[in-house]
Amino acid sequence: MLLRYITRRMLIGVIQLFCLVIAVFFLIRLLPADPVSRLVGLNSSPEGYEQAARQLGLDRPLFEQLWIYLGLSPDIAPGLLQGSLGVSWASGSTVGSEIATFLPVTLQLITLAFILAFIISIPVGMLGALNPGKAADKGVFVYSLFAGSQPEFWWGLLFVYVFYFQLGVAPAPLGQLSPMTFPPEPVTGFMLIDTLIAGEPAKFFEALHHLMMPVITLAFILSGPIIKMVRQNMLRALQSDFVLYANLIGLPRKRVARYALRAAMGPSMTLIGILYGFMLSGAVLVESVFSLGGIGQYAIRSVLAFDYPAIQGVVLVITAISLVVYLLLDLIHAAIDPRIAY
Amino acid sequence: MNGDNPLLRVRDLKVGYEVPGDLIVPVEGVSFDLNPHEVVGLIGDAGSGKSTTALALMGLARPPGKILGGSVEFGGRDLLTLPDAEIREIRGRDIGIIVQNPRAALNPMLRVGRQIGFAYRAHNEATEAAARAHAIDMLRLVGINDPERRVEAYAHELSGGMAQRALIAMALSSTPKLLIADEPTSGLDVTIQAQFLDEMWQTVQKTGSAMLLVTQELGVIANFCDRVLVLHKGRIVEDAPVRQFFAEPQHPYSQEVLRFYHERASGYPEQVTGGAGFLRTDALTKHFPLRGSDKVVQAVDKVTISVAKGEAVGLVGESGSGKTTVGRCLMRLEHPTAGAVILDGQDITALNAAEMRKMRSRMQIVFQDPFDSVNPRWTVADILDEPLRVHEGGDKAARRERAVAALKQVDLDPSLMIAKPRDLGASTLQRINIARALICNPDFVVLDEPTSVLAPRARNSLIALLARLQKELGISYLFISHDLTTVRYLCQRVAVMYLGQIVEEGSVEQVFTAPQHPYSRALLSAHLMPDPTNRRVDNPVPAALEGEIPSPIDVPKGCYLASRCPHVTDACRANPQVLTDLGQGRAVRCERVVAGEITLQEAAHD
Amino acid sequence: MPDQVQDLLLDETTYVPPVRKADWLMRIGVSIVTLVIFLALFGPYIGPYDPTRTTIRIAVPPPGLTEIPGLLAGWIGGTLEYPPHWMGTDANGYDIFSRVIAAPRTDLKIALLANILSLITGVFFGLVAGYWRNWGTELLIRVSDVLQSFPVFIMAMVLVALAGRSATNIIIALAFVYTPIYLRLTRAEVLGQTSRGFVEAARAMGNSELSIALRHVLPNSLTPALIQSSVTIGFAILLTAGLSFVGAGVRPPTPEWGLMISTGANQIVLGEWWPSVFPGLAISLTVFGFAVLGNALERRYERG
Repeated sequence: MLLRYITRRMLIGVIQLFCLVIAVFFLIRLLPADPVSRLVGLNSSPEGYEQAARQLGLDRPLFEQLWIYLGLSPDIAPGLLQGSLGVSWASGSTVGSEIATFLPVTLQLITLAFILAFIISIPVGMLGALNPGKAADKGVFVYSLFAGSQPEFWWGLLFVYVFYFQLGVAPAPLGQLSPMTFPPEPVTGFMLIDTLIAGEPAKFFEALHHLMMPVITLAFILSGPIIKMVRQNMLRALQSDFVLYANLIGLPRKRVARYALRAAMGPSMTLIGILYGFMLSGAVLVESVFSLGGIGQYAIRSVLAFDYPAIQGVVLVITAISLVVYLLLDLIHAAIDPRIAY
Repeated sequence: MNGDNPLLRVRDLKVGYEVPGDLIVPVEGVSFDLNPHEVVGLIGDAGSGKSTTALALMGLARPPGKILGGSVEFGGRDLLTLPDAEIREIRGRDIGIIVQNPRAALNPMLRVGRQIGFAYRAHNEATEAAARAHAIDMLRLVGINDPERRVEAYAHELSGGMAQRALIAMALSSTPKLLIADEPTSGLDVTIQAQFLDEMWQTVQKTGSAMLLVTQELGVIANFCDRVLVLHKGRIVEDAPVRQFFAEPQHPYSQEVLRFYHERASGYPEQVTGGAGFLRTDALTKHFPLRGSDKVVQAVDKVTISVAKGEAVGLVGESGSGKTTVGRCLMRLEHPTAGAVILDGQDITALNAAEMRKMRSRMQIVFQDPFDSVNPRWTVADILDEPLRVHEGGDKAARRERAVAALKQVDLDPSLMIAKPRDLGASTLQRINIARALICNPDFVVLDEPTSVLAPRARNSLIALLARLQKELGISYLFISHDLTTVRYLCQRVAVMYLGQIVEEGSVEQVFTAPQHPYSRALLSAHLMPDPTNRRVDNPVPAALEGEIPSPIDVPKGCYLASRCPHVTDACRANPQVLTDLGQGRAVRCERVVAGEITLQEAAHD
Repeated sequence: MPDQVQDLLLDETTYVPPVRKADWLMRIGVSIVTLVIFLALFGPYIGPYDPTRTTIRIAVPPPGLTEIPGLLAGWIGGTLEYPPHWMGTDANGYDIFSRVIAAPRTDLKIALLANILSLITGVFFGLVAGYWRNWGTELLIRVSDVLQSFPVFIMAMVLVALAGRSATNIIIALAFVYTPIYLRLTRAEVLGQTSRGFVEAARAMGNSELSIALRHVLPNSLTPALIQSSVTIGFAILLTAGLSFVGAGVRPPTPEWGLMISTGANQIVLGEWWPSVFPGLAISLTVFGFAVLGNALERRYERG
């Protein structure tokens, strides 16, 4: 039952990704951009231009390009079917390997930000839900609206100004480690894990120190919608008939609280999934403020360079991760709430 | 009537809630006593504060409500001033409660057995295994078959009646001295309701608890209660033994409530002569395909009914019997799978879209939920204007005059023209729905449970209005209802539906005084007549139906009632039953009745 | 009977229109939004400097709090050499105050038009897909699902960067990413409305399907989309600013908040906070205002 459900969802996901690939492929080629002249410069000779176009494969008909990208002509170049995302036009290395170095940075950043946001949001949201209509609740509510509607890159800059320039407690926003530090051998790509594998606790704490500001910035923004969600779901649970009845039948307070908490958790899963997916690309701005070198910055670089294979690769990978996250959270939801049938 | 040593002494109980700039007090000073082992009914309209009072007795109010004052003395202590931990001990241990909408009251994420176990262990020392065993015992006590399996069920897997039983098992698990039952049967089907109340009453007798039974239904009061409290506008206006209450109601409100039942003795509506078959169906069938399966839901199965000009025909049956689908097919809101609907000689299932739209001025429908049936953004004037605009067009001022006249026709004031639905009550809105249905002078109206969401008092006046309008305008009604009392007052003929089929039809008098089909008999005997001199609890309960309605997806091969019928034979299970004409407009779908094998007992009522 | 009926219904026969009070939060929202709209209309003209022209004074910090009264007096008295730079100037010599109040013309215009465009297309397709259910509309929803699974910010960046960095292209890009949201929202609402009694009643009364869809279903399905509008406008402003910040938005010297923050970003590590802080504050308050307004509308809608 469960396995069938997962298989079905995966299948639908693959179809969705396939449609997405096609859509993105045509979309970027329909837009009036000229990647060749971006690469060779506007002043190149017609011969140089043609040569570059040939090198990029842009001299082939559109559908042939798609075929190659999908991996249906493996004799020319490997494509998706062979597990290849193509070769970056800007750097010449494979898109897959580039994403593999950039993606862990982003995943590490937003996962930590989510954890921190939850640690803040759950008690704060509960505080609001347990005192509906009182000053504490109003404060919680206004905070959640405020935090949820802020320009995160600006807050990142503000934090840099206050904590780096004025107070000097934060490092300069120049990457995952200080520019003077020699990074550890990348094994997983996650800096925090790689430093530990390399057995260099000093670098681990340095990385943590550098992650502090971006994580706080993102967690601040994330705390808005999460607090709002915790407060709303908890309020709804506390006002539900079955919590009222649990009180009427004389269950101890602790038990009633557990009833409400479990009821509030289920519906939160969907929103968490959406937020996580959103953050995968939404972290772009914070990454660039702190020069972290995540997938978002890779996307910016690729977009500004008209690097089509890289753009396609980034969109594909981010969407695929979002779909997997949605699936995982749906499974957790179903485990919490027996009413959700596969 | 108050004993010297009451179990519960309520004085001046007040519950209210704040809205910006105002304090609303739905319960403003309720006082009464409850004696040990007594069954007391608390009756009142929707919004009279019944449920709020019931909760306040346990020291709780639904947010944003608050208990503002008064005392609830139980065992020498005022429950309203007890600290939280102590009142939690009393709740569930000394006072148990069951509420309406039982499925929502059960935790949807926990198995029923565990929940009963938690309730039991909150008040008794017990291991988890012992609590589970106790839960099974309690479920068996409240009449649940196969309790070992049911303890593993989740709330959403239970039917309404089953969930209410689980709730009462929880409420009685610690053998409380008092059980508060807050409209425990609202939303349950008639046969299930009677069965449930019987079982609840018996269980309470066994556990020796007193009971406060909150309800809107006089039938429930008359059949199960010893004493009645009448709650009106937040106060107890009458407190009397049940017989005295029915014989000589004191307060004007009580008199108003009981009037309809006193008037009812005047006899059955007169039979209509001539104009037979003005509207009729011919083997009307409706199947709904099931998604992802080649099976179908057989909602309506070859239903043939006919309504004469100026006649009201009742269509009764429990939920899932297909009666609403019949009404929708008649209006062609649902396209029948097979069969014909003939109005005044014309088969409306054969009309094209434009012809059908024109035809709609001659036939109308009034739905169950008055709030849902009107566009919430429109004013009453817009609502009443719509049918005129569609069918007649013409001058706006003239149409407005027609709308005002239509309002007056349903006894409403023309000042309502500018009101919007959200500012009106259910009974007013239902009158507006009726006015809208009648404004184009239709020949035929489907009334799809028009009174089911109304309070009994409003229900009575609406039925009286419908009867009056029919007499004045000579319209034909198909009156769909599960409430037999209203059918008896309004209709000349009645058809009883079960699982998509008509099982019996005849004049109201024939069917109500001498029902023949086992299902009709069960339905009528389950009907709680508001007659305290012939109480259900004092008489042996007539043969009830077992179990619940089978699924309309896999209908039985033979008689559809076979799995529940007390008179079932092997032949019944094997042979499909046919509706057999008995003469005098009567027909019944039961071989054994036709063969005279089931002795006819006079129905218990009338 | 009628007289008793009148009696029973007495409390309902006279109609008093209900009074609705605006709460303080709503007032804050309305004030902020009104101010931003005012600046969008007149902002470029009322600043002391031309927002698109540099001055000779580069990276001047804003006046300290104590200097303000003197400057104000001098400004009114006309004794100053040049109008004061209330928020200082940036590294290129632009007057920050004039640019901050001129920027709503760009930001709000983009956000508003993108929102209207996506609202209209989304509601239209949502109504069609929700009311007429067949394989065609099913396909429509699938397409919308695929569009919605795009990573929003990256897609907007791709569209603008490849199509050319102009306000029009930003509007189209934003409308493109927001349309599926409206489609889905409206469709869900329409699905809920079509099974309601008044739609059935309208059908039983002989209305045509088109008339039911337009007169009954559409007006009753619009509210969630309109409430979402307020939120979407706010997020569109954030997105517009974000695009400028990474260099995929409007081109300088257009006064635009995100672009201004981006210009000041390099200086902030050196302690020059004002070129970034003031425009950021403007975004922060504006988007908060729209969020508050949207929320107030939502609560009012839920209350009925």
